[in-house]
Amino acid sequence: MITINGLNKIYTNGTKAVDQLSLQINEREILALLGPNGAGKSSTIKILTTLSGFDDGEVTVAGYNIDREPEMVRQSIGYVAQETGVDYFLTGRENLELQGHLYRMKKPEIKARIEELGQYFELADVLDNLVSSYSGGMRRKLDIATALIHRPKILFLDEPTLGLDTQSRQSLWKYIRKLNDELGLTILLTTHYLEEADKLSNRVAIIDKGHIKVIDKPDVLKDDISGDVVSLQFQDPQNKNDIVNTMRANDFVMDTMWEKDKLHLYVSNGATSIPRLIESCNEIKADVINVSYQRPTLDDVFIKYTGSSIDATEEGEEKWWEKWAGKGGGGMWAKKWQQANAESEDDAKVWTTEEAEEWHKNKDWSKEEAADWNDNKQWTAEESAAWHANKEKPAEPANNTQDSDKQWTAEESAAWHAEQKKDAKTDTQESSEINNSSDNKELTKEESEAWHKKKEWSQDEAAQWNQNKQWSAEESAAWHSDKDNSQSTEKNNQDSEKSWPKNN
Amino acid sequence: MLADTWYLFNKYVKISMRMPLWSLFSLIQPLLWLFIFGALFNNFATLPGFPADTYIDYFVPGVLIMTVLFGSSWAGVSLLREISAGTVDKMLVSPASRTAIVLSRVLHSAVQAVIQAFIVLVAAWLMGANTNFNPVYIFMAMFVILLLGIAFAALSNGLAIKLQREEPLVIMGNLMTLPLMFFSSAMVPEQFMPNWIHAIGSFNPIEYATSAVRAALSTTPDFHAFSIGFGVTLLFAVGTLYWAISAFKSIQD
Repeated sequence: MITINGLNKIYTNGTKAVDQLSLQINEREILALLGPNGAGKSSTIKILTTLSGFDDGEVTVAGYNIDREPEMVRQSIGYVAQETGVDYFLTGRENLELQGHLYRMKKPEIKARIEELGQYFELADVLDNLVSSYSGGMRRKLDIATALIHRPKILFLDEPTLGLDTQSRQSLWKYIRKLNDELGLTILLTTHYLEEADKLSNRVAIIDKGHIKVIDKPDVLKDDISGDVVSLQFQDPQNKNDIVNTMRANDFVMDTMWEKDKLHLYVSNGATSIPRLIESCNEIKADVINVSYQRPTLDDVFIKYTGSSIDATEEGEEKWWEKWAGKGGGGMWAKKWQQANAESEDDAKVWTTEEAEEWHKNKDWSKEEAADWNDNKQWTAEESAAWHANKEKPAEPANNTQDSDKQWTAEESAAWHAEQKKDAKTDTQESSEINNSSDNKELTKEESEAWHKKKEWSQDEAAQWNQNKQWSAEESAAWHSDKDNSQSTEKNNQDSEKSWPKNN
Repeated sequence: MLADTWYLFNKYVKISMRMPLWSLFSLIQPLLWLFIFGALFNNFATLPGFPADTYIDYFVPGVLIMTVLFGSSWAGVSLLREISAGTVDKMLVSPASRTAIVLSRVLHSAVQAVIQAFIVLVAAWLMGANTNFNPVYIFMAMFVILLLGIAFAALSNGLAIKLQREEPLVIMGNLMTLPLMFFSSAMVPEQFMPNWIHAIGSFNPIEYATSAVRAALSTTPDFHAFSIGFGVTLLFAVGTLYWAISAFKSIQD
């Protein structure tokens, strides 16, 4: 019913709202676009409903190209916005009549349709009351009814239950499901309520930064996260990497994910693993202040694909006319003020080194900011040298950090290898023992190679392996020539991708 | 497009009819002016060269113009409300004509202004103003008032879209109306104006509307003055309406 191919939308203020989004929505399906605020859900819906233009891409809705035949698209869709668009000082019936006229329907046709919709949404008794006397749930229902007056094939619901109480929400779900079951409507809804996406939709598309991260049935997505989730909340976790490494040393830990001071661990069995995880925490003296354990939910799916919990993102998405306010006029000044205020707060704060580092890591620098900083900064000779040395460093995988600081001359290399061989003699014995004990298996060469390719090496593992390995002359040569080749190209990549540190 | 305009116009009329108190409220100001200014400037008429017998006779066309200005210059505020309430989006996803959406709003404000002006005229009659109450001339005057109402409602709607916020819109509304009033002969006859104000007045659309209304309501109607004033007001209304509609169409991207 809806085909989106390579959709791009950049707002005039430079924000990329939709980034190469492709999506296929089948007939009679309910698809939920799930994402945090500012992920591009609403922007996508605005484009599909012809409310907003786009920069690039192919979009067909109900078989019509939205660029070339917007009128036909409008006739085949119904749209329920985040804000109830019904007029408060008209009655329900008058709202429906007006909508019918705007869709160029004949009077008797409108009349019959109003009766039908009044029955369907159980609004018949209140149709002649002013909308201002309706409850929030009733207003929503009327809003959906007005969107359905012309019997569209596709219904767009933008955050349909935002701000409703639990009861109204569940009653609305009932209607939405009914519309899909009985009338065969294709429904695209956006939501940041996970429960809504879970219970209502046939498929869920997780959207983040204007891009679809994953799309599938909610159950399949949840099954992908095997096992249970144990969440450990730490008191001020300083060295997150150490904690992760320690946890991962437990073979039942399958995956980990940090969310602020919370570490989510995907484990095979939650109940039995908690005591052992706590023990591991005690060993490294990490203060756990809260432990929770649950079956995977859609939120876990969400965390897995976007790296943050959907609940952590604030409500209250920027309204389209506020974005649009950036073009000129008052909104722009408001934004500048906010920015100025935020900056002055920053200035006032005394940063600890850790805080500063953390902040630098987290901040996404815009190109302008970086350029600006570079222009302003006075480089000391040391800094400059350090930076250049750093820059020379090829972007090799982390396991070669030791080597990569330096360009090896042939002599050095030979010397190092000789050294290595000496040391390795004792180590090899150990390592073979480890292999035997851990695997209890004779690996064939192929198996071993396959396993090596597949395995994701942690830094420590890799370093250890490097030390243990006896390099053959061929391997060494191959590696070095490889390294030289990759260096030039990778250096380029590095340059363009480098994020600039900011110290002052 | 015309059908859409009609249905939407009906909607706005219904909404205003449901808050008649509010519409009455906006009448208070012009009525007070009629009363206060009439008393305050009464002695003006005794000055040599004053073009009317009493000040109120002179002031009636001026107060009609003021009624329109203050009635339609805030039309854009309700557009901003409709945008934030989602009503505009609802209209935009329907096949309704974009022109009709603006046109219906503007027409509604202008018609409201004409009704208010009519009530003010009746009040002036009750206060004993001596103007031309011949229905034909009243119709001519009201037509000019309708056009001026369209022009200012269109300006306000267009500015609402460009400025997007209520506060600057209200400031702009004030800026448009009051100075333009004083740069016209609505309150003070041309003869009494400093030259430079008179010179600025000749670029002021309100001056043309005032002189057209005055020419129509004069006990000795002046068709030449009326047609010049009418023509300029018509051009002004068409121009501002066109601007407002194209501003509205640009919302989409």
